[in-house]
Amino acid sequence: MTGVVLLISSCNDLDLNPLAAGSSENWYSNEVEIEMALKDLYRDVFWPMDSEDWTDDYTYRETNSSIVNGTLNGQDGSVTSLWTNQYKAIARANTILANMDKAASKGINQSKIDLYTAEASFVRACMYACLVSHFGDVVYLTEVVDIETAFTIGRTPKADIIKATYADFDKAVAGLPVKYSGGSQRATKGAALALKARFALYNGDWSVASDAAKACMDLNVYKLHPSYSNLFLTTTRNSEESIFVIPRSITNKVTIGGGIVLNTISRNPGGWAAMDPSWDLLAAYTCTDGKPIDESPLFNPHEPFKNRDPRCTATIVEFGSRHLGFVYDPHPDALEVLNFKTGKMQKNNDNRANAQYASFNALIWKKGVDESWLENGKDADPDKIIIRYADVLLMYAEAKIELNQIDESVLEAINKVRSRAYGVDKAAINDYPAVTNLDQASLRKIIRTERRMEFAKEGLRYMDLVRWRLATKALTNKSYGILYPAALLREKVTSKGLWFWPVTPQIDEDGIPDFSEMELAGQITVLSKRNWDDRQYLWPIPTKEVLINDNLSQNPGY
Amino acid sequence: MLLAVIFMSFSSAKIFAMENSEGITIPLTKVTLAEAIKKIEATTDYTFFYDAIKTNLRQQVTLKADNQKIEDVLNALLKTTDLHYKITDHQIALIPKDNFKSTQSKKRITGVVVDETGIPVIGANVVEAGTTNGTITDLEGKFSLDVPLNADLLLTYVGYVSANLKVGSADHYNVQLVLDSQGLDEVVVVGYGTVKKKDLTGAVASLQGDMLSSRKTTQLSTALQGAVAGVLVTRDNSAPGAAATNIKIRGVTTIGDSSPLVIVDGVPGDINQVNPNDVENMSVLKDAASASIYGSRAAAGVILITTKRASENDLTLGYNFEYGWEIPTKQPEYVGIQRFLEMTNELRYNDNNAGGMYQTYSQDQVENWIKYNATDPNNYPITDWTDLILKGSAPRQTHSLNIAGGSKSVRTKASVTYDKTDGLYADRYYERFMTRVNNDFKINNYLGATLDFNFKRSKSHQPVFDPINRMRIAAPVYAAVWDDGRMAEGKSGSNPYAIMENGGSKDSWYNQIGGKASIDFTPIEGLKISGIVAPIYNFDKIKSFSLAAAYTLANDPNTIGGYYEGHSTTKLTEDRNDSYNVTTQFIATYLKTLGKHDLNIMMGYENYFQYNETLFASRDQYELTNYPYLDLGPLLLRDNGGSAYETAYRSMFGRVMYSYANKYLLQANIRYDGSSRFHKDYRWGSFPSFSAGWVLSEESFMKDADLNWLSFAKLRASWGTLGNERIGNYPYQATIAFSNALFYQNGIAVSELTAAQQQYAIQNISWETTESLDLGMDLSFLDNRLRLNGDYYHKTTKDMLLALEIPDYVGFDNPDKNTGKMSTNGYELELGWNDKAGDFIYNISINFSDFLSEMGDLGGTQFIGDQVKMKGSQFNEWYGYVSEGLFQTQEDLTNSAKINNNVKVGDVKYKDISGPDGVPDGKISSEYDRVLLGGSLPRYMFGGNVSAKYKGFDFSMAFQGVGSQPVRLNSMMIEPLGENWGNIPSILDGNYWSSLKSEVENAKARYPRLTRSNISSNQAMSDFWLFNGRYVRLKNLTFGYTLPVSLTSKVSIDKIRFYASANDLFCLSKFPKGWDPEMGSSSYPITTSLLLGVSVNF
Repeated sequence: MTGVVLLISSCNDLDLNPLAAGSSENWYSNEVEIEMALKDLYRDVFWPMDSEDWTDDYTYRETNSSIVNGTLNGQDGSVTSLWTNQYKAIARANTILANMDKAASKGINQSKIDLYTAEASFVRACMYACLVSHFGDVVYLTEVVDIETAFTIGRTPKADIIKATYADFDKAVAGLPVKYSGGSQRATKGAALALKARFALYNGDWSVASDAAKACMDLNVYKLHPSYSNLFLTTTRNSEESIFVIPRSITNKVTIGGGIVLNTISRNPGGWAAMDPSWDLLAAYTCTDGKPIDESPLFNPHEPFKNRDPRCTATIVEFGSRHLGFVYDPHPDALEVLNFKTGKMQKNNDNRANAQYASFNALIWKKGVDESWLENGKDADPDKIIIRYADVLLMYAEAKIELNQIDESVLEAINKVRSRAYGVDKAAINDYPAVTNLDQASLRKIIRTERRMEFAKEGLRYMDLVRWRLATKALTNKSYGILYPAALLREKVTSKGLWFWPVTPQIDEDGIPDFSEMELAGQITVLSKRNWDDRQYLWPIPTKEVLINDNLSQNPGY
Repeated sequence: MLLAVIFMSFSSAKIFAMENSEGITIPLTKVTLAEAIKKIEATTDYTFFYDAIKTNLRQQVTLKADNQKIEDVLNALLKTTDLHYKITDHQIALIPKDNFKSTQSKKRITGVVVDETGIPVIGANVVEAGTTNGTITDLEGKFSLDVPLNADLLLTYVGYVSANLKVGSADHYNVQLVLDSQGLDEVVVVGYGTVKKKDLTGAVASLQGDMLSSRKTTQLSTALQGAVAGVLVTRDNSAPGAAATNIKIRGVTTIGDSSPLVIVDGVPGDINQVNPNDVENMSVLKDAASASIYGSRAAAGVILITTKRASENDLTLGYNFEYGWEIPTKQPEYVGIQRFLEMTNELRYNDNNAGGMYQTYSQDQVENWIKYNATDPNNYPITDWTDLILKGSAPRQTHSLNIAGGSKSVRTKASVTYDKTDGLYADRYYERFMTRVNNDFKINNYLGATLDFNFKRSKSHQPVFDPINRMRIAAPVYAAVWDDGRMAEGKSGSNPYAIMENGGSKDSWYNQIGGKASIDFTPIEGLKISGIVAPIYNFDKIKSFSLAAAYTLANDPNTIGGYYEGHSTTKLTEDRNDSYNVTTQFIATYLKTLGKHDLNIMMGYENYFQYNETLFASRDQYELTNYPYLDLGPLLLRDNGGSAYETAYRSMFGRVMYSYANKYLLQANIRYDGSSRFHKDYRWGSFPSFSAGWVLSEESFMKDADLNWLSFAKLRASWGTLGNERIGNYPYQATIAFSNALFYQNGIAVSELTAAQQQYAIQNISWETTESLDLGMDLSFLDNRLRLNGDYYHKTTKDMLLALEIPDYVGFDNPDKNTGKMSTNGYELELGWNDKAGDFIYNISINFSDFLSEMGDLGGTQFIGDQVKMKGSQFNEWYGYVSEGLFQTQEDLTNSAKINNNVKVGDVKYKDISGPDGVPDGKISSEYDRVLLGGSLPRYMFGGNVSAKYKGFDFSMAFQGVGSQPVRLNSMMIEPLGENWGNIPSILDGNYWSSLKSEVENAKARYPRLTRSNISSNQAMSDFWLFNGRYVRLKNLTFGYTLPVSLTSKVSIDKIRFYASANDLFCLSKFPKGWDPEMGSSSYPITTSLLLGVSVNF
């Protein structure tokens, strides 16, 4: 009898549903749910930027990334995470698109549905653009497939995906608003145009690129932020120059990460100064006369920051300048430096004479870094700028140059960007080295140098090296640094008055510097040999994907 | 001489035997004496006693009874023998005639019978050998008996080895009975019931609680290591309070969770919720026939734990105190400072020839570092991180108190235990308080009840930062402390010593309250109906206060140089988890004996519900560092979250056990289970099983064969199916998961809720089924002194719940589905010997087992790093390249396939096995050149126990090991400059390929050249790094001494025992120097425990 009581009272329902998750079966049935699904596509993880450490703009002490080392394979984390994350976003975008009919049947009005369709198409286009740029031919899916079908699928030729992706971008351009009047700022017409232009540029589709860029410029909603150096600071958010950004926020826990901050900032305020700009980058900035350093009479290798394009010191910390509360001075005899906070001199840890792990090549990043990076436990939350207006201008110019349709609009686009860097009006051609040349070959060189100066540390150098086929040269040379230990540096360089660079490095027609004279003289040291392998112009398809699917081929050379 | 008296009666059977008021009728037969005895016992309620060795049971006798009195029957029967009989209250003693005559001149003796722990044995039989003259011991274990001079007394008690006593001139005797761990009359706990060991048909291992508690581990799970054949217990550290990481019964059954179901006193629970001292016994249900009564959740085997209860007339109090030290067994060693400087430079040179030989450390530094250290330790540090962080030993202590009291109507057993174990590094300890009270009530002849309660509270206190990994990584060239004692910078703020000391601490409290109430109703003899409800509540609280910790400059105590890694702000994180589960059961059992037919029927219903909810909250950037409360942190940087889930199942089950004449044993089980984890159309599954046993030694032809040496022989066979459902809580539902993304709203970044389907769900997902076949035998020889148990099994799992690799371009996480098969073959052997020579009692047992799991068609592949599961592979088989040694010459390098263009002489050479076209393609690629390299799981597991006693002294020893296991030398063991700044393991020095060495030396090199730039390809999984990780370990060694009762009884103490015990005293293995075979590469060390203890019983 007691048992019977227990029996009755103990029956639990076995139809249990998740307590802290929604059900997919009736999702996508109202605006709130669809918009929540769309917003998921803007998560930081789906918008990766190519890393600086895959390029010649970057030095990490004596080590190289697997790409620079030529050891990239299908098991590399960079490869698998890019592949997996982009396809996750694609599947989610496809799911939203597949549910639009259901949404319509639930009474959501057509204008909303068009907007949602445009937004999902935008994300899908961006994801495929990223995949194609890195992997070439990839699997192309526009709907959610079941697992059995998935195993029968192979790679679609790049050309077909490019066409379909342009169409997605066009759908986005047609359906997205120029601006959002209130609420959350999401993808816009301008973003679709700008990213379409970028993808077209990467594919060498110059007229598509120039048309898209032109259309973006003609929207007349974007303009260059007045100050180049302020643009990247946390104090400048979602500026008029930003076309598409993923916001970061310390309070909302989306940041660039303490590890990156510590590796970037100098050692006196407690950083590590390990991820540093390369000498190649320092050498790439033109002088204020617009000439490369080996041609300009204004360049002095002992004072490498003097008379340089202003973006040089906006990107790399000038020796002797104030940086993060200290004077930054890597000179081996600068054993003490001024701490602006205490007003006193203190031991200089940004100097390899005092601190072995101070920057190995004496350079550290300035761009985007300010004293706010020392707060919040040394974390920072500047905007992740996916694309900005200066890029649109330079893409327009580059596409027109490649089309050999060189006109005033091309020069104007370049000069707008350049004059902003000098902080002067475009028309004040005496105050900055305005571009006046109309020759295609010279302009091609100018525009490539301009991009490198303008976009350093913004994740664009890697694809530029790839599409210009420059990695073969730029990533097989050496990465250099100052001599170590300090005694040797003093003996060979500073005691002879040869600090910083004993001589001016030679710059070739692709803007690649040659430091071999100093190396042979024993005045500088080789930090590492870059070892790029040309097979990496296309990344390997992830090993796992190839192993489980017989229909999936690997890229050549792996 | 050892006497063995076999009680040939079955007391349970006698209850229903007919009263023998009339005469006996047995047709005339010529039989052996043994058969005659059985026949009489079968037809009457008389029971025979005799000396099994001295009595010739195979002699032919004549048995005839025609409604005769028993005396007449016996007279006729024994006429031709040299035996006489004596009848006392339905007991017939057969006595040799010469003995019988000398039962004259008696004297009265007294004695006390105690068990191994000195506790009085109540109700033990004390019988004069060969007679019916006997008595039983009283509540204090005392007896008195009139016996002839020089009589042999036999002392027996169920579950104990019989003891004999020669009566001499003394009048008082103290006798100690030794537990018979393999006694055939031992009662074994099985699912929802008990059965005598000799009646078992399935593969069940049974362990006495004393055996587990004697291993002196804090957690019960670790005591189980090496104790049972076929039970593999693994651990990877001995941190305070640490439990075993994994328990596997008969190897691997499924790709998912292979941990067994643990049932504590009939209710699903956790093995570590039970104090080892509270365990009465533990049963491990290994085959499907034994486990299938637990159906859906028993696929990986079942562990049944029964806690101690008081018996009638108990009245005892025991106290035990133990104090000891935990000492690390081994620690990895690293090259000293000099070689570190030299080898670092060599490595950098290898990676960048152009940089020269002194890239990192100048020639001056290399040559003079040690000298400069004496005068300038801040700039030339030499830090031994392990020495600095790890203490030589850590104390531990245990207090426990046991109280038992029983009367006819109420019985209570209570225990209280407090443990505290300190850590091997600063500010770490674990303390635990446990109590358990088991009550039994007898209301009347029809109604009984039990009410059990247990409570456990543990607290673990430790630094927020666990220094072990960093301690092993950190290189000696970084300063831990400046020369004036201040904490130093370490490597750019990575200073494990300072962070451990100053980085704040974390406290975790785990509270568990469990209870069980049952009402037992016995309406008629043999039928018992029980209703049981058993809730368990868990409340966890975790508080982690991570402090901002700064270092000051070496030459300037007033200037902050920076903050330690991960400790630049002060952050409080609080977690609260609470969960509960309720099991309700309704069980009916019915026992019936009809002549030689024994029937045991059980039916039951069970319901289980579990609910779990978590909550966390944190604030960051506290200004104050001594107020670990949420309110005091900045509002802007607060964060919180929570989640919940629930599961339920419902089951009906039943069992029939039948035995005929104790010879033929049959058992059938079925369980019908429904789980909330599956869609309602695929929710229910039924799991049947059958088993049979044949007691060979009961057969007359065996008895006729006159096999004196064989005491008992049984063959067993079983077949059954089991289920598994452990794959998340809602696997069939394509759920929408929520996250967050940031958007600008009016120029401010706002976090908004986002939603996405992340799983690709398969709605018809259902039970995974394991089918298992077991063949076994139980043999005893030489008067049950030698025992051999053996089992062979074959398990097949089908419709395996598996998260197969799907192409990532599908865009969802790998879904679970019913696919794939795997099978496991294995065998187990247990061999035991127990004997006694005078006062010397000893017992040896060893166990051995092996299994091999092979994957069938999985419908795909599952990759897990260096190991793989795919069709035809073993379970988690190593998967990687095949190495061909090291590249020794440039010529070899030029002409060989390479993994990339960065490979140099001195790197690992891999075999080009295939390519995209199925033939070697001149490249080493991860797609085409990796193959199966052998299983990663242990083979040939063994363990054993030896125990001995001599008067007051006792000794025991346990060992355990693995006979073969391919193990990988992992990066923590052999990687130079881990994370590019770390230490260099000393096993590398002198054993790596080097351009500075001769060809002859390099030909013998065990490790590749020093490199960082090519480290990932050298350390890619390949057979180059595999070695046999077999080991044997002395698990426990105990010496004890019990003071003579004559001494202690004067102060009213029953027993005082002192003991010294050591756990994990030594280990033999081929692991690299400094590595314990069981220690995880970044784990807290495995420790040797040295313990001293005293127990007092009143």
